[in-house]
Amino acid sequence: MRPRRLISVLACAAMSAVTVTACGSGGATNQTADGKTELTVATFNEFGYEDLFKEYEASHPDIKITQRKAGQASPHHQNLFTKLGAGSGLADVEAIEEGYLSQVMSKSSQFNDLKEIGPNVDNRWLKWKTDAATTKDGKLIGYGTDIGPLAMCYRKDLFEKAGLPSDPEAVKSLFATWDSYFAAGDQFIAKSGGVAWFDNAAQIFNAMHNQHEVGYFDKSDKLVVESNPKIRGDWDAVTKAVAKGQSAKLVAWSNEWNTGFKTGAFATKTCPSWMLGVIEAQAGAENAGKWAVTEAFPNGGGNWGGSYLTVPKQSKNAKKAAELAAWLTAPEQQIKAFKAKGTFPSQVKALEDPALLEQTNAYFGGVKAGALFAAQAKKVAAAQYKGPEDGQIQENVFSPALQSVEQGKNTDEAWKTAVQEAQKAAK
Amino acid sequence: MTALLTKEVDRERTEEVRSPSPLRHRLSKLDNRVSPYLFVAPFFVLFGAVGLFPLLYTAYVSLFDWDLGADDPKFLGLENYRTLFTDGQFWNALFNTFSIFLLSSVPQVITAVVLAALLAANLRGRTAWRMGVLLPYVASLVALTIIFGNLFGPQFGLVNTVLTTVGIPPIDWQANTFGSHVAIASMVNWRWTGYNALIVLAAMLAIPRDLYEAAVVDGAGPVRQFFSITLPMLKPTLIFVIVTSTIGGLQIFTEPKLYDPSAGSGGGAEHQYQTVVLYLYQSAFQQLDLGYASAIAWTLFLIVIAVAGLNFWLTRRAVR
Amino acid sequence: MKRPSFVVYGVLAAFVLGSAFPFYWSYLVASRDNSVLTGDLTLVPGGNFFANAARVFDTIPFWKGLGNSFIVSGTVTASVVLLSTLAGFAFAKLRFRGRGVLFLFVVATLAVPTQLGIIPLYMAMAEFGWAGELEAVIVPNLVTAFGVFWMRQYLIDTVPDELVEAARMDGCSLWRAFWHVALPAARPAAAMLGVFTFMQSWNDFLWPLIVLTPDNPTLQAALEKLQSGYYVDYSLVLAGTTLATIPVLIVFLVLGRQIVAGVMQGAVKG
Repeated sequence: MRPRRLISVLACAAMSAVTVTACGSGGATNQTADGKTELTVATFNEFGYEDLFKEYEASHPDIKITQRKAGQASPHHQNLFTKLGAGSGLADVEAIEEGYLSQVMSKSSQFNDLKEIGPNVDNRWLKWKTDAATTKDGKLIGYGTDIGPLAMCYRKDLFEKAGLPSDPEAVKSLFATWDSYFAAGDQFIAKSGGVAWFDNAAQIFNAMHNQHEVGYFDKSDKLVVESNPKIRGDWDAVTKAVAKGQSAKLVAWSNEWNTGFKTGAFATKTCPSWMLGVIEAQAGAENAGKWAVTEAFPNGGGNWGGSYLTVPKQSKNAKKAAELAAWLTAPEQQIKAFKAKGTFPSQVKALEDPALLEQTNAYFGGVKAGALFAAQAKKVAAAQYKGPEDGQIQENVFSPALQSVEQGKNTDEAWKTAVQEAQKAAK
Repeated sequence: MTALLTKEVDRERTEEVRSPSPLRHRLSKLDNRVSPYLFVAPFFVLFGAVGLFPLLYTAYVSLFDWDLGADDPKFLGLENYRTLFTDGQFWNALFNTFSIFLLSSVPQVITAVVLAALLAANLRGRTAWRMGVLLPYVASLVALTIIFGNLFGPQFGLVNTVLTTVGIPPIDWQANTFGSHVAIASMVNWRWTGYNALIVLAAMLAIPRDLYEAAVVDGAGPVRQFFSITLPMLKPTLIFVIVTSTIGGLQIFTEPKLYDPSAGSGGGAEHQYQTVVLYLYQSAFQQLDLGYASAIAWTLFLIVIAVAGLNFWLTRRAVR
Repeated sequence: MKRPSFVVYGVLAAFVLGSAFPFYWSYLVASRDNSVLTGDLTLVPGGNFFANAARVFDTIPFWKGLGNSFIVSGTVTASVVLLSTLAGFAFAKLRFRGRGVLFLFVVATLAVPTQLGIIPLYMAMAEFGWAGELEAVIVPNLVTAFGVFWMRQYLIDTVPDELVEAARMDGCSLWRAFWHVALPAARPAAAMLGVFTFMQSWNDFLWPLIVLTPDNPTLQAALEKLQSGYYVDYSLVLAGTTLATIPVLIVFLVLGRQIVAGVMQGAVKG
């Protein structure tokens, strides 16, 4: 008998001893009163699906869609993991954010293979997007929704003051490679009067790291933190820049980081498409016209953020749920979601849609942001293979380790701690 | 109230005079024997229904290499516990927990008693004052996160600004272990002092007034009165406050979690302020290692019982 | 009783100001916009509160959440106060076999860390068919170890044993002795327990968020939806929390009067 079953039987026996509830009677039905199939879709943040659900219900009279919408990604995924652990309660379609994907992929047995139960959707997405949600044995766990292709944002006024070029075309050469990026940083801080080059070390390191073909794990899920020279190389480059004073040492998403945008504490920012809105809101109207974005990113491209739609094995209407998820993630629908809430589409065809290519951003000097990020999305090389604890190592091992260097810890010691903690996380 | 009570009792008495019967006597004996159990039964029934299962489940899971959502966990016996005792991060978390606990509970209980004494005075607008100190209990956590973040920000924080203006070098409230504990403890104290003060106040006001009158006749001043009447009479309540704040303090989670600017549960770049429950949370919901998290939960449970028991014993001996 | 000196008022005023500041500050942000958070330090409210409040009503099912929160917190509070006082009375004043052990057991359950409990608790609720129902938020909280412990400690010295004995001698059943002797004496502590329980239940966030559905939430679970987007609009979020605090403050004032009234009675009792 599997322990999970055993515990469930024990639990039921224990609880029946004191209550009169019959066991096994729990669980919601999926039929509404008028005989429709009810599909629940759990999302967080803004996916821009509200109108799409109405459209789908109109064309599929036998379906009723209920949306479970959380505000933030973190409670959404805590909810997901709780119900995964409890063995019931998940929605028919569950959204997964890219940062949590490696954890979900390590539980891939709890999710349906969409290639098996869903319609044929080959070549719909950018290859790296699909690859990241495909298991080693070829199962597709999630349909891509949106992405966050990376470009570089920078402060035109601060560049000028420090004697750097400030025109979006002219700065491209500064952002050609990581070497040229850090070299420009040296030039900048020499004349900036205390203004830093980037916000914090972890954001730079993560962007560098995710460009490599092999990351923290090789394809056999072996931790290669120590044997992969590229990781140590990135580490050295970033910590050297920190030592020179290029980092503003502001932890991402903290109050001080928010304030840093307004006070102009740093001159460049690794910029996924959605970051433009963050900068506009944080830096505020008084800094209008100072920020710019350019179609370049050191060593090619990168991605930060974006989501997938999955169908958990718990779903009692997996086939219909997959059909809905496939429809929602089709290029036509994702363009509508983009128009509604600005989520940047991951579908090849959607990236050529005029609505996307014509989109401009006034705060960033009227730049054609849609076209710019579409071009950046295509520069992303292959998806890096992510081991089961990959997200954990990025968020809870290397980011804090780099923060400790910024707080004054010796680089070599911090590296040793990071290696140890990575080994512990991967055990 | 006494008058009211006597009237009730009188009515009962007349009833009894009217019908003295052996049956009544037997019923009363049965009442004596059974009713106490009925009175405490709701708690135990409810605990049996919703509290016991999680406890047993956690104990069971702690014996496995149980990944959240895994199909076939491997039985490990006590291996998780053995790992835990050699896990430096656990010992670090335990140290942080005790440090923050001492920095918060000790000043908190003392301040609460003093504050209660002030609130017990014959104030104008009593209700407003009493409810006023309880306000932190309902404050929104979102607001607190931002406010304390702004106070203790290492670079632009208000506390550091003040320190620099008076000539003291700024403190890195994130990187510095002791500094971060002080900051978190101040957050805890802010939230819970008024709450504990009101608990003490309720007990303080129930102390019979004539005890004080007798003391005044004997020539005792307010300070003597406080130490020889108020404090001893508060003993049961002080035991309550000390035991519950020991338990709450050792399970501290919300404040250090909110204090982390990256909103994670690592408790600082080098776990400077990661507490045991934060570590438990990280193991369960980020590592998804339920087995190990359960072992942490049970170990903490036993530690809390031991320390709370010790404090209970100490308080009982100290306050006579 | 003589009035205390101005020093006492001064100390208390400092405490209350410190306690009230986050509420004022929340209102401040809610009445302006996010720029308050990033350096534009000001203590003068702006004129946006009603606009932000209107956005709250548009974004989340506020009234539904408010109704549910009242049902949940009201039921939980009434039940906790009654059942905890009952059990606390038994532990404090009645003699029965196993009393000491049972009481220690109650206190020990306080030490169970709850963070991990949500997974098995969810399993239990799903088994009972309560996932998504208000019962899942109400039933686990109907009586608390905290309440039992507190009422026991309060009653142990407040109610003289002779009073209970006298009631028994006069043929009172234990239930009547509880109702007529213990409950009136317990009123101040019970009212305070009521205030604590109500507030705690009102502010409970993670469990309702997980076990309830977004179309049938408690207020706190509904408010989470205001923090949507990569960039959190705090003027909206804090407008929501400010609105959610108003009902608690009212309950506060109503029950607060009760506490003072009860306490005065207790003091006269002598």
